[in-house]
Amino acid sequence: MTHAVALLLYIGSLILWFRSLLSGGRGRGPGIAFGLAAAGVAAHVVALARFTAEYGQLPLNGLAPSLSTVALIIGIGLVATLGLGEGRRVGIVLVPVVILLEVVAVSLGIEPATELLDFQGAWFVFHVTLAFAGLGGLAVAFASGLLYLVQLHELTAKRMGRLFQFTPPLATLDRLGRTGLVAGFITFTLALALGWLWTVSFRQSFDQSNPKVVWAIMCWLIFVVAFGVRVGGGVKERRSALASVVGFSLIVVTYLGLRMVSSQGGFFL
Amino acid sequence: MSPVSVVGVSHLTAPVEIRERFAFTPAEAEAVLGGLRAGSEVEEAVLLSTCNRTEVYVCPGGNERVQDAAERVLSDKAGEVVGGTKQYLYRHDGEASVRHLYRVAGGLASLILGEAEIQGQVKDAYELAGGNPATPPLAGPVLHRLFQSALSAGGRIRSTTPIGEGAASVASVAVELARKIFGSLEGRQVMILGAGTTAELVVEALRRDGIRGLVVSNRTYERASELASRLSGHAVHFDEMPFELAKTDILIASTAAPHPLVTRDGFRHAREGSPSRPLLILDLAIPRDVEPEVGHEANVFLYNVDDLHEILDDNLLKRRESVPEAEAIVEEYARDFLRWYGSRGVVPVIRSLRQRWDDVRQRELERLWQKLSHASADDRDAVEAFSKQLLNKLLHDPTKRLKQGVGNGRGVEFIDAVRYLHDLEAVEADRSEASGPGDDDEAEVDE
Repeated sequence: MTHAVALLLYIGSLILWFRSLLSGGRGRGPGIAFGLAAAGVAAHVVALARFTAEYGQLPLNGLAPSLSTVALIIGIGLVATLGLGEGRRVGIVLVPVVILLEVVAVSLGIEPATELLDFQGAWFVFHVTLAFAGLGGLAVAFASGLLYLVQLHELTAKRMGRLFQFTPPLATLDRLGRTGLVAGFITFTLALALGWLWTVSFRQSFDQSNPKVVWAIMCWLIFVVAFGVRVGGGVKERRSALASVVGFSLIVVTYLGLRMVSSQGGFFL
Repeated sequence: MSPVSVVGVSHLTAPVEIRERFAFTPAEAEAVLGGLRAGSEVEEAVLLSTCNRTEVYVCPGGNERVQDAAERVLSDKAGEVVGGTKQYLYRHDGEASVRHLYRVAGGLASLILGEAEIQGQVKDAYELAGGNPATPPLAGPVLHRLFQSALSAGGRIRSTTPIGEGAASVASVAVELARKIFGSLEGRQVMILGAGTTAELVVEALRRDGIRGLVVSNRTYERASELASRLSGHAVHFDEMPFELAKTDILIASTAAPHPLVTRDGFRHAREGSPSRPLLILDLAIPRDVEPEVGHEANVFLYNVDDLHEILDDNLLKRRESVPEAEAIVEEYARDFLRWYGSRGVVPVIRSLRQRWDDVRQRELERLWQKLSHASADDRDAVEAFSKQLLNKLLHDPTKRLKQGVGNGRGVEFIDAVRYLHDLEAVEADRSEASGPGDDDEAEVDE
């Protein structure tokens, strides 16, 4: 029920974001859209807290709870842009991502996983939470990067229409994208380090063919590339925005591909 | 019964050299309005003076002497004008003056359609007429209501229609572009190349948004120095320009040079140390001061005169398309105001109407009793009751329709018609003599 409330609030927010886009971001539309998204995040927190209380475990294990948690972390990423003025408008990209993840989670049924993992306890909680936070950071970088490319296109096409009016300034988007990447990179690296430490400590072996491991390393490399392209001359902001957009899309596509071919799908993410 | 009249001069009726002679400072406006009320039949007055219009709103409307008094205020200010001031002035009365103010506040009557500054100017004029606690307010209940409603209409027009959307001058386009590139303009460096007026306007607009550092470079150092001191910047010799370019965020070029002053090679050389720093270039010169190839460099946003005018034309077209929507809002607010104004007048009119025909009834009854002196007291009571009932029946529908007229915005029109058809002026004059000044009926009619 609380998930449905959160979902409704997210959908209401999305409708308002698009209405704001059509009016060029004038008036109080963007503020109300952001407020609705924040209310959705609050309802989402309550929903996952109730899950934890009911089943005695954090929603980090099993596909549906994990997807819902990733959606919540991305939502929190959006709420964190509160003080950024027009930067909050990344909500128009982030809210659909949150809705998509939450709709899939709710349709699968947000229930605890029945299979037990070797990897559990505090190690597991920190590892998964940090990994999800890393993905949340990359999602924020993706949203900022996408809007950066849109605004850059409007500026070079010398158009000052409603898309130009709605889209935040390049400098704001670049700063937000960089912050998302830095936060994401740090947390994701820590998550990988924890996973690796646990594996070498308790398993004494490292299964490099595990799709989860392949995917995690690919994600980390994408972070590295997104940072790497900022070095050197030319429009480094544009390269970084492009890398964030392509990188995040690649992660989603690869994930879907791996889920389809992997036999270990049940525990993957 | 007209609520208000307006007498004024605007960009539509007079060129700037005439308009500027009608311009009032706030202190002058206050003094003049005080005098206007003291020495005439003017009950309420507000003076709006902007660079594109000067208007005097006066109450009561529909009174030529009041309008003449307002016109004298303007003519006295302008002084001697070839051919007289009358040719430049316009008058609106009643509903037309109400709609006029709403259109003015909404930016529909502005030189630049939809410009926002007029809203603040209307507010200032209104506050000036009622805001000095040391003097009696110059705006009374009618103009208070009218101006508050006009400000509200103006606000709604701007927030719900695209009439104010998109920049409408080169300076505001520049500010908007700069904001969308840099976000905050706080601490940004601007360089002017040349000494054009438009460049100056752009710098002033950017300064309002927070830019601090300003460098002026010109082939003639003296001219650069003069402009720099006027704009609180600093001048540099022309050969220092490339060095300054490396530190610049916004470059405004407007020289009269016959060939480009900023070439691609020169630009690359100048920006060697900071090749990817975003740079907004506004090339306002014809022929162009900046080679078009410079616009292909990394993080350079180059706009020439044609680009800027294309943006302006596009924005103004969008503004023009929103006029019908804005006019509908004006109509809605005008109807509301006229309904309110009508409701102020309907109660005294109904009272006068009843009194008028009750007097007739009583006179006719007296005449009747003289003829029927034998009538008993019971008969007299019965006839008296019948006459009252008949009067009530006869006046019931007109009274009801009059109140409905107020409800649907035709109150002023109906009240005028009733007063004329029933010759109520005499009754109202008698009543005002009997009741004395200040005993005005302002009750509203609830339908």
